[in-house]
Amino acid sequence: MQVDVVLFAHFSGFQPDGKGGRHARTYELEEGTTIADVIEMIGLPDEPRVIFVNNRHAPEERELRQGDRLAIFPPVAGG
Amino acid sequence: MREILRVDMSTLTISREPLPEKWARYGGRALTSAIVFTEVPADADPMGPDNKLVIAPGLLGGTSAPNGGRLSIGAKSPLTGGLKESNSGGTAAHALGKMGIAAIIIEGVPADKTVAYALRLFPDGNVDLVPRHDLKGLGTYETVAVAKGIEAAEQRYSEKVSFIVNGPAGEMGMKSAGIAITDPHGYPNRFAGRGGLGAVMGTKGIKLIAIFEEGLKGKEHADKDAFIAAVRKFSGALTTHAVTGQALPTFGTNVLANIINEAGGYPTRNFSSGQFEGVDGISGETMREITLERGGDVKHGCHAGCVIQCSRYYVDKDGHYITKGPEYESAWSLGADCGISDMDTVAALDRKCGDIGIDTIEAGVMIGVYMASGKIAFGDGAAAMAVLDEIGHGTDLGKIFGDGAEATGLHFGVANIPVVKHQALPAYDPRPIQGIGVTYATSTQGADHTAGYTITSNVLAVGGTVDPLKPEGQAALSQGLQIATAMLDSLGLCIFVAFAVLDMPEAFEAIHEMAAAHTGQDWDADALMQLGKETLTYERLFNEHAGFTNADDRLPKFFLEEPLAPHDVVFTVTDEELDSVHSFVPEVAAQLGIK
Repeated sequence: MQVDVVLFAHFSGFQPDGKGGRHARTYELEEGTTIADVIEMIGLPDEPRVIFVNNRHAPEERELRQGDRLAIFPPVAGG
Repeated sequence: MREILRVDMSTLTISREPLPEKWARYGGRALTSAIVFTEVPADADPMGPDNKLVIAPGLLGGTSAPNGGRLSIGAKSPLTGGLKESNSGGTAAHALGKMGIAAIIIEGVPADKTVAYALRLFPDGNVDLVPRHDLKGLGTYETVAVAKGIEAAEQRYSEKVSFIVNGPAGEMGMKSAGIAITDPHGYPNRFAGRGGLGAVMGTKGIKLIAIFEEGLKGKEHADKDAFIAAVRKFSGALTTHAVTGQALPTFGTNVLANIINEAGGYPTRNFSSGQFEGVDGISGETMREITLERGGDVKHGCHAGCVIQCSRYYVDKDGHYITKGPEYESAWSLGADCGISDMDTVAALDRKCGDIGIDTIEAGVMIGVYMASGKIAFGDGAAAMAVLDEIGHGTDLGKIFGDGAEATGLHFGVANIPVVKHQALPAYDPRPIQGIGVTYATSTQGADHTAGYTITSNVLAVGGTVDPLKPEGQAALSQGLQIATAMLDSLGLCIFVAFAVLDMPEAFEAIHEMAAAHTGQDWDADALMQLGKETLTYERLFNEHAGFTNADDRLPKFFLEEPLAPHDVVFTVTDEELDSVHSFVPEVAAQLGIK
């Protein structure tokens, strides 16, 4: 299945193509792949994250589906 | 023994009095709100002689408390018609704190309305009022440059001076005018922006307040060792937390653009959509990349003792300073809300707002409303700058624009005017982020995001999580944060400490330990919350006396009726829940002995 993955702030450097940037990359994933699986695949550091699937918060156990957009942020805030 | 400095512009006299014992535990917003409640008639004309402009450092001002140098400015707001506290960074608060000044109260209006005065405070305790014709009508940056020149010629000037500056918009009495404060490099780029307090400063005839601080020492503590220990604890928490220790120093407040956009709550083109296709161009990440490429500064604090260091300077292609930030709010209001996705355009608009002295949130939303009228196109940066030029020149059209989003929307017949209590909404749409909608509707300050920043739990997973798309839990979340924020504003702490405080119990402990060790008073968690509740009680009662009712604690109808993409939701928190947010007021009012 195909899932778009977007990484923000200092996570963008973890995109597998090494090109950084905040545009989405399309990943080819096995059915049943969870968000946690993708995080492990990318090798994100073990620190808090904020995760969205299709613009809603999602837990790491969530299984991804065809056409999903997965966005991952490190802890961020502002004003 | 802290003192009140009273400046009567009707008689041009200055006097001092001890801070009343009943306010011994107050600083910052608690003090400005208590003074305005007590001394300004609720039915006063905000632009008339009975309004007062009150300037107060926090209770921790003048100490080495990390992030403890915020300044509160209070008055009856010409924009909202209610009790306003406008908050800013910069160097003035610590300087006033070191002078032992609890508050400056500026009252009355000068008989001769053509004179522009400078109020000057000297480290030996002298204070004077001097006419400064040369400063009248100047932009904020030029005001600082010319003022420094005058003081240098009189041999009074040294590097260590803080300026509080009114821009031309305030001098012309415009309701979106704010008050600028200089940062550690002397740029007047910190801003007490919201609520039109620059217009009040203009009625008082004061163009500039100069605070000379050469040789001033930090304030003494009741228990110095305990204070230093608490400072270390607090500082450690702030540098450890991922938000205050990494995200904010690296990317600044505009790091929010992408996550709010991802959540579908990034108001675009006058709140007509929750996502902006051009967000990357105006995001914190892009801003950092551009600034680094051009050799600009990407991290500094807006006052001494700030360990978060979220500020930065934006520079042009030749590496020359344009403005600070821009902050998330400004990049949004002058960017996405106007359909503009170019960072240089946004930065130029931000600088212009700063120079004229107007609130960037009010200005950007006003321009977005004007674009919604069809008179100019969304995305037209040159047209947006032309709007700001009209304000700066004080044309008849400029006066409408300068009075803000509602004045502009009403004049041009725009259907969707995003304001509460006449003040423009900030950078989060309340439909997919319902907690912030509660704050916008119920805060005594009008539509204000900092007053009760529910984005923490609604979007950022800081301090827990509350689903932003549902009405459940939002009123309680907003209430708790409104109380806590009023407390931080009264201590003089930057509200960004809240990100660490919400997640780390030791950070909250350190706050009451610092307060107790510095003042010698009893401060525990309950006492801190009581401080916040008392502050809000003064504000709420003033607003009631000024004629506000529950009907003023509501969002504009279109937020309840027009679903926002991408989530296709409307605001659904009930009126009953909105009306429950200030339920503590009657009890606290009784404790204070006020009605």
